[in-house]
Formats: sequence, C-alpha cells, structure tokens
Amino acid sequence: MEIFPESASSYSSDIDNLFWLIMVFVGIAFVASLIILIYPLIKNHHSKVPRAEYITGNQKKHLKWIVIGMVLMAISDFAILFIEHGTWAKTQEHVPDDVELHVSVIGKQWNWVFIYPGPDKKLNTADDVVVDQLNSELHIPINKNIKVDIKARDVVHSMFVPAFRFKYDAIPGRTVTRWFRATKEGKYDLSCAEICGVLHSNMRNFIVVESQEQYEEFLSNLYQSQ
Amino acid sequence: MTHELSFWRKYFFSEDHKVIGMQYIITGLIMAAVGGWLAYVFRYQLAYPGASIPLYGELGPAQFNSFITNHGMIMVLWVAMPLLLSGLGNLLIPLMIGTDDMAFPTVNMISIWIFILSGIILIAAFFVPGGAFGGGWTLYPPLSAGGYRNTNPEFFTALFSGTSLFILAVALEIVAMLMGGINFLVTVINKRAPGMTAFRIPLIIWFICIASLDFMFSVAPLVAGAVMLLFDNILGTGFYDPARGGDPILFQHLFWFFGHPEVYVILLPSIGAVAEVVSVFSRKPLFAYNTIVKLALVSAVLAVIVWAHHQFISGIDPRMATFFSVGTIIISIPFAGIFLSYMATLWGGSIRFTMPMIWALGMIGTFLIGGLTGLFLGSNAWDMFAHDTYFIVAHFHYTLIPVSLYGFFTACYYWFPKFFGIMLSTALGKLHFWLTFVFFTGFAFPLFFFGLKGAQRRVYDFSAFSELMEDPYVLINQVSTICAILLMLSQFIWIYSVVAALRKRKSSDPIGDNPWNANTLEWQAPSPPPHGNFETAPEVFHGPYEYSVPGHETDFHPQNKPIPNS
Ligand SMILES: [Cu+2]
Ligand SMILES: [Cu+2]
Repeated sequence: MEIFPESASSYSSDIDNLFWLIMVFVGIAFVASLIILIYPLIKNHHSKVPRAEYITGNQKKHLKWIVIGMVLMAISDFAILFIEHGTWAKTQEHVPDDVELHVSVIGKQWNWVFIYPGPDKKLNTADDVVVDQLNSELHIPINKNIKVDIKARDVVHSMFVPAFRFKYDAIPGRTVTRWFRATKEGKYDLSCAEICGVLHSNMRNFIVVESQEQYEEFLSNLYQSQ
Repeated sequence: MTHELSFWRKYFFSEDHKVIGMQYIITGLIMAAVGGWLAYVFRYQLAYPGASIPLYGELGPAQFNSFITNHGMIMVLWVAMPLLLSGLGNLLIPLMIGTDDMAFPTVNMISIWIFILSGIILIAAFFVPGGAFGGGWTLYPPLSAGGYRNTNPEFFTALFSGTSLFILAVALEIVAMLMGGINFLVTVINKRAPGMTAFRIPLIIWFICIASLDFMFSVAPLVAGAVMLLFDNILGTGFYDPARGGDPILFQHLFWFFGHPEVYVILLPSIGAVAEVVSVFSRKPLFAYNTIVKLALVSAVLAVIVWAHHQFISGIDPRMATFFSVGTIIISIPFAGIFLSYMATLWGGSIRFTMPMIWALGMIGTFLIGGLTGLFLGSNAWDMFAHDTYFIVAHFHYTLIPVSLYGFFTACYYWFPKFFGIMLSTALGKLHFWLTFVFFTGFAFPLFFFGLKGAQRRVYDFSAFSELMEDPYVLINQVSTICAILLMLSQFIWIYSVVAALRKRKSSDPIGDNPWNANTLEWQAPSPPPHGNFETAPEVFHGPYEYSVPGHETDFHPQNKPIPNS
C-alpha cells in the first residue's frame, strides 16, 4: 500500500524521499531514546536496587553524556537541514526560465478561478481567458514547466495539489509566483488547504495533465468558445 | 490570618493561592468537558459524514467550522493554560518557595474572575445570531475581519457577533493570564524563604517562571493584533484589508509570534512536574539540574524567534523561511539535553512505579513522538506538502496531549495527597493510565497516515475526495473517532477516583504530610496546608534533589532541614 498520494510532478519524489530521510534520523533517535528510557526501568526497579546511587550529573564525566546526545542531535538537525534545503530552494526560490504556460490560479469563496493567457501567450493582457466554474479543470501539458500566479479575491485560501506535493497560500492583495512540472497524465485534485468559510471543503477543482496535442486542442477550443 | 472567613470569601472570592489554583483547575476541567464535547460531535461527523450524531443531531458545515475552531482555542487557552500554568503555578509556587501566599493576592483573585468571565463570553458566542466564530482558531483575516462588512455597518450587531465575542474572550483570557504571570514572577523574585537561592528553587518553579516570561514577552503583539481585528470588525477599519492598504499577513505574524511560544508556556510547567516526579521516584538527584535550567532558558529564547515556521508557504520570502526552518529544527538540541537529563536521572536510581511516576514516564515516551515529528514539519520543503494536513493535526495532538493530559495527571496524582490529605487509588489509576494511553494512541496515531495521504484539515466532509474515501482511510477515521470517544470516557475513571477519595477522606487513616518522602518544601507543610501554609516560616539549607546522599540512614533530606555531617 502506498502511503502517499499518487506522485505526478517533477519534485514529488524529492519530497517523498525527504520524508524517508528524516524518518531515518527520527527513527534512530526514537528507538535510542526508548532504550535509554526503558532499560533503567527494568534494571533499576527498587526491588532489585533498594538504594539509588548519588549522582548529581553536574560533574564533567556525567555531563558529557548529555553533551554527546546534544551533539548527535545537532548533527542530525544539520544533516536534515542541508538536504531539505536543496529541495526548498529548487521548488521555492527560483522559477525555471523555460515556461510553457503561465496561468493565474485565484481562490475565491468557494472555487478556484483559472486565467489562461490568450492567443498572444501573455498573461495579464486583454485577451486572457477566465474560467470561473465550480469543479472546473485546469489543463496543463505534461513535462513542461508551468508558472502559476497564486492570488485570492476575498479571504486566504491555499492552493493544494497533493499529487504534485505542491501547496501555497493564496493571499488577498498579493501575487505569489511558483512553478511545477507534471510528469504523469491524469486528473488530480486541486483543493483548498486553508479554512476559508462555510463551504471550504467544497472547494475542489482539478488539474488535468495531458499530452501537448491534447492540451493545444483544449486551448483552441477554449479560445473559440470566447 | 486565622480569623473566620465567610463562605463566599472562603470558596468564591478567596485570595488564598490554593483556592484560586483549584478554581483555575476546576474551570479548566469544565472547559475541557466543553472542548471534548465539541470534539466528539465533529469527530463523529468525520467518521460518519452526514449521520445524525447521538445526543446532538445533524451537524452542518457552519457549525462544524465553529466547533473545530472553538475546540482548538478552548483546549489551548481555556484548558491547558489554566490547568498547567495558572493551576499548578498558583497551587505550588508559594508552597514550594516557602511562603504564605502570592505577592498580590487581590490581583490573583481578580485574575481568576476575569478568566471565568472570558470563558462565559466564549461560550455565549454560540448563542448569538449567526453562531460562534468558525474561521479556525488561528483567526486569520480577512475571514475573521468581515464582521463590519457582513453586518452592513451596524455597530451593536457587529459587537455582539460570534467573531467579536471570540476575539473579546481571547483578549480577556490574556488579561487574566498576564495578571497571573506578573504575580508568579514577583512572588518568586521577592517572597522566597531565606536560603532559597536561585539554584535551590525546584525545577517546576523555574519552568513556571520561564513560561510566564515567554508568555508576557510574546503576548503583547497578539493583543495589538486582536484589538486591530476587533476594530476591523466593529468600526470598519482596514488594518487587514489589502484594498485599503492593510495586510492580512500582518495578523499571521502577530498571532504566531505569540502562538509558538504559547506551546512552551504550557509545555514547561508540564515537564517541570515530570522532573519533580522522576527525581522523587528514582530516589536520585535530578540529573544536571543546573544545566536543565540553562537549556530551558535557551529554548525559551529560541521559542520566540521561530514563529514563522507556521507561515513557510504563506507569503513570506522563501529565503526568510530558511532562517525559520533552521531556528525551529535546532530547538531540538536543548530539548534533547533536557529529556536526556530526565532519562539519565533514571539510570542508577531505585525506581518506584507509583501512579505519578507511571504518568511521568508515559508523558516522556509519548511526547517523544510529538517532539520528533516536529523535525519533519520544521523542514520547510516537507512542510510544503504536510502543512495544514492531518499530519500536523496528529503531530500537535502528540505534543499537546502528553503535555496537558499526561502532564496534568502526573501533577494531580503526585500532589493530590498534599492538598486533600488522601491518596488516589492506584488500581483505578493504572486502569485510567492504560486506557488513556491505548485510546490516545488509537485516536492520534492513525491520523499521521491520513495526513500523509494528503488529507487537508478542517474539511467538513471528505466524501468528494475519492482517494481519501478508499480503505483504509474510512476505517482510519472511524477508529480515530471511536478511540477519541473512548479516551474521553476513560477520564470518568479519574473523576470517580477523585470523588471516591474525597468521600473517604474523613474515615481513612492519615497519610502524613510527606507520603512520598520528598524534599521540596510543600511536603514539609501540613496536608492540606492551612491558610498561610506553614506553621513556622521555613528556612532552606540545600537544593531540592538531595536524594540518597551517601552515608545517611534516610534517602531524603527536606530542604528545610540541614544535612548532618556524616
Ligand atoms: Cu478553503
Ligand atoms: Cu510553532
């Protein structure tokens, strides 16, 4: 059984691997802590050890154990940070240059609105096409970088595409630009992860990942329907 | 101070720190019942969407939202804080530092009544038109700032809306806690018994002081933020409205600047109680006591500079997020030191599995999971996926329940004989512990997996999300709900055991003032301690953890008796 949702973006496996990597450190720390906790409980039951040793723990020879534990924790911490930062920088700090599609995804109560660039291929121009329907689909081509401008009209929403391991808050008054590249054709959930009012849980749209040809056909139909 | 007080002055408007502490605990427990009831209703909805809920009926999406919102706020501000900070602080500080009462007893009395008033306002919000606030306990505007717009500016309707009352209740709760915090600090600084030097103060008192400091340091921005939010709601200002130059992110910063340290505010008193218990029942000095205090101070400083880890993907600069990620993850270093010291205390000890000890060990073991899963969420890249999912829900229940439930019961089973002169039953106690442990695990652990599958929180009905309605996720939600209900029901064992003990109090043999053979000063006062606490003002001769000192017949040395040379 797969514990994660379907994996369909260029960085979703990075994020899943990050989970397992942190799990290694956390797992070791957890098991080690449990042993340190439980061992004396068995060995030093008062029926076996009627009188405790007098150890204040303030001497260097005792304190060193705590310091060793903290150093090991610090090493794990920085190992985790070092590795996870690569994924963070890749997903968040830069948008790739070669972008096939630049769309706006706008949260409103209670659905996601999509704005596609018009035939001029430029967003935020007069010929943009707005799709504002309940449960509508955002169509994107496979294996191409997609740049999204995330915005909100009324309250805070959060654009969540579990299959892409992608999430970013949509905030009134701001435009946040992020990117993803889908690697598997299919129809994926695009839900809202930030409570946004009564029908928050009805906020459910889809991202349809399709081949370049299908995507272009979709676009020309969209332009014609205008 | 021995003159007779009227019934009202003795039990209601008392200035005695012990009565006030009990009032805080009783109010906290009543609010816990309210918060638990809300959890029962919305967990039932999550397990059986659309079903008619026994004893409640059908739950609509608006009520669902207000129930989860109030559950969160109640459990943090009206349960964990009064039980752990105000309750333990009031009961224990004067007794453990060897004085008769708080520095400002009247302020203390006012604080509990403001606290009770704040709770009444919070609950009253359920009965106003439009119902209680349902925008998440984090109160994010603009959702929480729409009162003015929604009520078509009508001042009084806006003032008595669910949202405004919720904000008002929070603000009053904070006022009450501030009065308590000032009192704790002044009392510990000024009223210690002679000889009670800084490093002879029991760890729990240190931790309550550090918690109070963190609280007072971090809460002012939240108050400012809440006032602006209230103005947005009732006066139509635009502090958080981008159309008028405001910024919703501002509130998120002000909220989490408080919200993160708040975790330490309730964590520290709780692990303070655990420290006392671990040392007493290992019959061994608390390992590296001085170092623990210093590590706690370090973590308290770190706690106030990591708040934006709640906002990694909420509009802050990604490079800034890296700073907060580093800060968050390195908090594990001082905490590793603290918890390793607790465990090291056990090594070479003579361990007694009394009820308080079992709860304390359960707290450490369970909290490990909560603390360590924080490492996942602290790393911002993983948080991009896990943020606002059930993974977070499971994580913070794994921190807050060990802290507030296990920590509270550690304290309760340990100090109950001091304040009531009778022990709680061990047989019932064990049953209570194991049922709590099993049902808590059954409730919270499966939720990690629900979150890993990408289930976002605060969703009224998952029916539309096909991946989340497959096996085993339906089962996971049902198991979690059933265990949550059983977890709540298991607490009646404790209530029964308290009532049974109180009823037997007159008829059973006295247990003496110091049944656990502990060193700290509260055990040297009569049980229960009278108004004014000590018959003769104690003097302190040594630290609180002098257990099993070599060369002595007894294995403990009360702080108010010098250790004879051997
Ligand atoms: Cu939403
Ligand atoms: Cu935090």
